[in-house]
Amino acid sequence: MSVDKSTKDARGTVQCENTNLNLLKANDFVADIIKKEMAKTGTLLINITSSAGSGKTTLMQKTAEKLKDKITMAVMVGDLETERDAERIRETGIHALQIVTGGICHLEAQMVHQVLDQFDLENIDLLFIENVGNLVCPASFDLGEDYRVTLMATTEGDDKPKKYPKMFLTSDMMVVSKADLLPYVPFSVEAVIKDAREVNHEIEVLQVSSTNGEGIDEWCDWLLKKIEQKKG
Amino acid sequence: MHETSIVNSIIATLEQEFEAEKLQKMKAIYLKVGILSNIEPRLLHNAYDVYHLRNGRFQNVALKIESTQLKIQCEICNHITHVENYRFLCENCQRPSKNVIEGEEMLIHKIEFDD
Repeated sequence: MSVDKSTKDARGTVQCENTNLNLLKANDFVADIIKKEMAKTGTLLINITSSAGSGKTTLMQKTAEKLKDKITMAVMVGDLETERDAERIRETGIHALQIVTGGICHLEAQMVHQVLDQFDLENIDLLFIENVGNLVCPASFDLGEDYRVTLMATTEGDDKPKKYPKMFLTSDMMVVSKADLLPYVPFSVEAVIKDAREVNHEIEVLQVSSTNGEGIDEWCDWLLKKIEQKKG
Repeated sequence: MHETSIVNSIIATLEQEFEAEKLQKMKAIYLKVGILSNIEPRLLHNAYDVYHLRNGRFQNVALKIESTQLKIQCEICNHITHVENYRFLCENCQRPSKNVIEGEEMLIHKIEFDD
């Protein structure tokens, strides 16, 4: 590469190169590969994020129960340790694979890509990635998903969208979970929607309870509509 | 852990972009990180120091991090708003906007090499 004299410093000992390379270029490159593979098989890929303990795995179980006769779905689930979540999801009769990150606080595209060949994608309509429970780091890593859905449990407090803005800015939908507990917790659905929409005016919102079934039909209808669009 | 991943990603990206011979002459890495990038400069510096304990190859390469504030540009009236309190609203026409023009960066902005 040629040396541009104008970018040398006063003593002429240093050569600068303006790079403007994305720090996560390596991740985004792999995310693109995942996207292309999913386009080939027409598999809808959804990245589920949230804090730990907001009900991601339970929602996966409920979704599997509702949809397993209509479509083929599978889940890959990331956690720092243990295979407990994959075991819970497998109990509903669907294919689930655990990614043990061994201390890493998020999933990266490379981790997802490494295990993709363990799924029969040609015959899978819907693949969920249940991310590591954390509203910070997973926001920065594109996994090649079609949609990013963030769960926000009523037990967490309604102030999270402004505390973790990047996650809500990059999400397509916010699912207010554990809605059956609303009478018992100081959580305002109105306030959480207001804050989430101040960050991201396009974010869709659903209110669900995996315990009493509220909103689960709407959630499944949304998924079916998106699967149809992807196959389209 | 997040910062460690990012340091590894920076090194991997530079190894992809530049010849090994050229990287030996690297003197400084300039990053531009936005307030929305979830990168904390102080922690990234720590992770970078830890990287050198495992791998001495770039231990004389300085890491310089510039933070950027959050700005959006309205798609309707083109007005640029400095976003405060994460209200993504054009201050001129009051319309919501997600068109972030500054503050989301995670860039390896510039590299300095010894001549």
